[in-house]
Amino acid sequence: MTRRQFLSAATFIKALPGYKYEFPRDHFSHPEFQTEWWYYTGNLATQSGRRFGYELTFFRAALQPSIEQKSIWSTRDAYMAHLALTDVEGKQFFHAERLNRPGPGLAGVDLKSERIWNGNWSCHLTPNKHTLLATDQNFNINLALIPAKPHVIHGPNGVSQKGPNPGQASHYISFPRLTTQGQIQLSGITHQVQGNTWMDHEYFSSELDQNLAGWDWFSIQLDNSTELMLYRLRQKDGKSSPFSAGTFINEKGQTTHLALSDIQFTPQRLWKRYPVEWLIRIPSIGIELSAKPLLDNQELLSKSKLTPSYWEGAMQFTGSQSGRGYLEMTGYDDRVRFMPR
Amino acid sequence: MTWLFFRLILRPLWADKARTTTTLLSIALGVAVIFAMDLAGEAAAGSFKSSMETVSGQDDIEILATGGLPVDLLAQLSQLPYPLKFSPRIEDYALLANKRTVPLIGVDIFANALELESSGEPTQPVKPTERGVFTTASVGRKGETIWLQINDQPLSYKILGIIDSGQVSGDLVLMDVEDAEAVTNRRNRVDRILVSLPAAEKVNVDTWVDTLAKHVPAGASVRPIGARKEENRKMLAAFRWNLRVLSYIALMVGAFLIYNTISVSVVRRRAEIGIVRAVGATRQLMTFAFLAEALFFGVAGGGLGLVIGRILAEGAVKLVGLTVQALYVSSTAAPVEFDLAAAALSLGSGIAVSLLAALAPALEAGQIPPTEAMARGRIDTQLQQATPRHLVYAGVLLAIGAALCQLPPIVGKPFGGYLATLALIAAASLSSASLIQFGARHIASWGGVQSLLAGRSLAGALRRSSVLVAALATAIAMMTSVGIMVGSFRETMLTWIDRQIRADFYLRPAGDAAMDRHPTIAEEVATKIEALPGVVAVDRFRAYSIRYNGLPVTLAAGDVRAQMRYGRTSLKSGDMQDAIKSMLAGEAVIISEPFSEKHRVKVGDPITIPLGTGKPTFRIAGIFLDYSSENGYIILDHSIIKRYLPADEPSNLAIYTKPDVDRAALRTQIERSYAPRRIVVFENNSLRNEAIRIFDQTFAVTYALEAVAIFVAVMGVAGAMLALIIDRRREIGLIRFLGAAKQQVRGIILFEAAFIGLFSQILGVLSGSLLSLVLIFVINKQSFGWTIEFHAPVLALLSALAFVFVATVIAGLYPAKIATTLNPIEVLHEE
Repeated sequence: MTRRQFLSAATFIKALPGYKYEFPRDHFSHPEFQTEWWYYTGNLATQSGRRFGYELTFFRAALQPSIEQKSIWSTRDAYMAHLALTDVEGKQFFHAERLNRPGPGLAGVDLKSERIWNGNWSCHLTPNKHTLLATDQNFNINLALIPAKPHVIHGPNGVSQKGPNPGQASHYISFPRLTTQGQIQLSGITHQVQGNTWMDHEYFSSELDQNLAGWDWFSIQLDNSTELMLYRLRQKDGKSSPFSAGTFINEKGQTTHLALSDIQFTPQRLWKRYPVEWLIRIPSIGIELSAKPLLDNQELLSKSKLTPSYWEGAMQFTGSQSGRGYLEMTGYDDRVRFMPR
Repeated sequence: MTWLFFRLILRPLWADKARTTTTLLSIALGVAVIFAMDLAGEAAAGSFKSSMETVSGQDDIEILATGGLPVDLLAQLSQLPYPLKFSPRIEDYALLANKRTVPLIGVDIFANALELESSGEPTQPVKPTERGVFTTASVGRKGETIWLQINDQPLSYKILGIIDSGQVSGDLVLMDVEDAEAVTNRRNRVDRILVSLPAAEKVNVDTWVDTLAKHVPAGASVRPIGARKEENRKMLAAFRWNLRVLSYIALMVGAFLIYNTISVSVVRRRAEIGIVRAVGATRQLMTFAFLAEALFFGVAGGGLGLVIGRILAEGAVKLVGLTVQALYVSSTAAPVEFDLAAAALSLGSGIAVSLLAALAPALEAGQIPPTEAMARGRIDTQLQQATPRHLVYAGVLLAIGAALCQLPPIVGKPFGGYLATLALIAAASLSSASLIQFGARHIASWGGVQSLLAGRSLAGALRRSSVLVAALATAIAMMTSVGIMVGSFRETMLTWIDRQIRADFYLRPAGDAAMDRHPTIAEEVATKIEALPGVVAVDRFRAYSIRYNGLPVTLAAGDVRAQMRYGRTSLKSGDMQDAIKSMLAGEAVIISEPFSEKHRVKVGDPITIPLGTGKPTFRIAGIFLDYSSENGYIILDHSIIKRYLPADEPSNLAIYTKPDVDRAALRTQIERSYAPRRIVVFENNSLRNEAIRIFDQTFAVTYALEAVAIFVAVMGVAGAMLALIIDRRREIGLIRFLGAAKQQVRGIILFEAAFIGLFSQILGVLSGSLLSLVLIFVINKQSFGWTIEFHAPVLALLSALAFVFVATVIAGLYPAKIATTLNPIEVLHEE
């Protein structure tokens, strides 16, 4: 452990078993943890069947555990956000990123006003509805998300373990199915859309284990009202880390933890460096799925050296069941890190 | 025709090199000055770049307000559902260790981090723990620690990175908005919010300006980013216009010399013209031939002038830049560029003036009858008598000039005044012949035989001598009038300063001053000084550059109570007691005279001023005299501005002391109270000197222009005298033959030069004094709005005149030498 890691780990709280969740508090900010994100990904379509995928993500990264707030510009946390739209029919993929300090209210997370925002990208998160608004140069979205199932907490004992050491873990909450309705405006045309969204919220204070290169993460919403969350932590030697895991959510919203031994990940076709097609087998619950992207190019190519490029795209699943979802692949570009250091 | 041009025009020009050269040079200098001033004016003021626009960003719209915008506005704007990028900017100036002032810009490093990172070498901007700056390459090297003075504080910073010179024009220091907020004391405020439109929307700037205007408070203004440039262009228009007019003086003097040269050509070649006419050349051909001579001077001289002008422009841009900085705005002079339009205009002016000046003599050449070929010896018979008709014409022109002075300005420009100037000069020129005749009869007779002969010969060659006198008189008139105007202005300003400056000490942050830069002094300094024994009051003065009707104006807040008790601001109009009372009540403001002239407002009028986020309306309670700003002042009481801009610190302090205080000791205490801040203390009299220094710096360009006009005129006199001598070889030979000594001949020539000098001075000073009235009361008043009291700077003028007189006599030395070397026998043999 480097000195810097030691210092930061010594002052931020780690994600440890036994954490007591409390809502709606835990849907919002946890400044005592170093890193936190709110991730919305969804598959939508118009009445006529024109399909879209979207991603709206808010990141918070503490630069240091505490600072003296001398000015409104004093910055403890940096806020990043990503916005992406997959236009399947038009074979187009748009994405944008932004970095802001809280400043006078440029970005932030606020329990009182139930908001998470970065400039004019925002989420209004109430107990029965999440409203997403985001404007970009090429498109904008205005979506109302209603939880079809309550949120779930991944991992045993309230922690999603990502490495061998205590604290190499996160607190990981998901809304596995949010019924979504709203508008996507693209090139001056407003599309009325509906579909499903997956939402992840994670907070933690440790970086990825030194042996890991990145991860491949799946959110799958099957047509039979069940969902799967799977992640494969990829070691530098190309093997799956034993801490790779998943969660199965049944129709009633009950979860089953899946260990690496339960899941078989088989990469199929490569697009650039990314395996965009997969075979997934979970024999214990009788699932065998073929995963294909709605569009190959769903790479969020970073313009800056400060942030990594990654692939995050809308997926189609067929096999034992059919469904839709999202795949995220990180660490193919460079070792993944979330914040400039 | 070509042959004719060559034989009749070019060959004599070549034979008479001295006169040809001086005429050419005078045109060249005239054109050069016009061209140089135009180029320099454009570089220093026209292609004006506010020093704050050094960062050539992608921004399209700016939002700004007096005293800055609240940061909350940025937060609100950033959440509007528009695809726009809003960037906060704190803007100030930093003084470098080498005394250079560069813009200091505070930006949100975070919001720019992704863009900054994507271009150029990897820097590490997101490091809030490290205090550092980014600079241009000439300010320092990466990793180096530099010293900066910001407002009154000396600070040191580490250079974290070097800004790519391709992205900026001119030097600057850039830091994170958090640091900038702290050092500039802009608590929760930014100076501007810049808005960047997406590429597809760049054409709709005006629509977006209107959209955004609905989201900003009343006091804020939203406008396209180029607006500041337009505003400055507008602000500097009157200044540049007058500079341009002034630059035409040298060419006008040149016009007389052209006229002289062509008339001499015509007179001396009467015989040749007669012969050419006798063998069949038409009148028109003669006229054209001499116009062609003028054209030659215009083209050749003008071409040469462009070359000289381009070189002069480099020096002129510094002078003009100083004036612009002192009077108007901090600007970075753009590099001087060869401007084709300006070149064409200057060259065109040179040619047009040459042709116009040559028109009369060229027409006369056409009138010469063929019989003239036979009439040898009838040289220069015209205008042997100055006719009273010319004096009548002069009188009529004077009357017209006086009437023109009554005209109001047309589109803000004093055209009546300019025309009156021309009328005055024409009137003076028309009187020159009468003056010479009068002088030859009544003055020359006092100086003995040589003087008498000199006077006679001038009066006998009236058509040439009168033009010479007119040319020199014009230059002297210009010198006198501009001298009187500047002197009057200086004197008026000094009287005003003496009346105005009542405090014992004045404090302002160190660094060079500019009209639109208002660095501040920490409030704690003022408080500490207030507590010093011997100090009775500290008047805090705070200035802001604001815009009123699209023009820059200085808005200032002072302590009306302290002013009332200790100072003595007098009002030009309005009631002092009422002004004080209503200013304290927050109902009224007072404005400076140039402001009232420029914006056409008077006492009692309402005035709405953007102040912070508000836009309150006040009543104008008084107009005060002011000579420090052409843009004008609006002054309110300190307590009122605090309502809108609460956290502001003063930009100047005026300290009033007890009469019996030990000034030296108090000064030391004051200096101790602000250490280690960088503040300069002026005592009453040193502030006066500082004002004079700035004033003289402002008028440096005027002095330079005058010097060129005088130089052209004196040179013209030398050339013309030489021509005169050569024409009078026979006469001189005769005098020598009759027994005159060389010294006596030299005496005659020098007397002639002296008389030309003397008559020019009489005419020049007379018309110059009249001209100065036009400059002071018509042109200045209409273009700048200043009330200047007439004050002739007698001593300075006398010494300048003496200098010109001596120069004229010296100009006679060479012709005199030529005259004495003529061999009388040979000269007479020519007959």
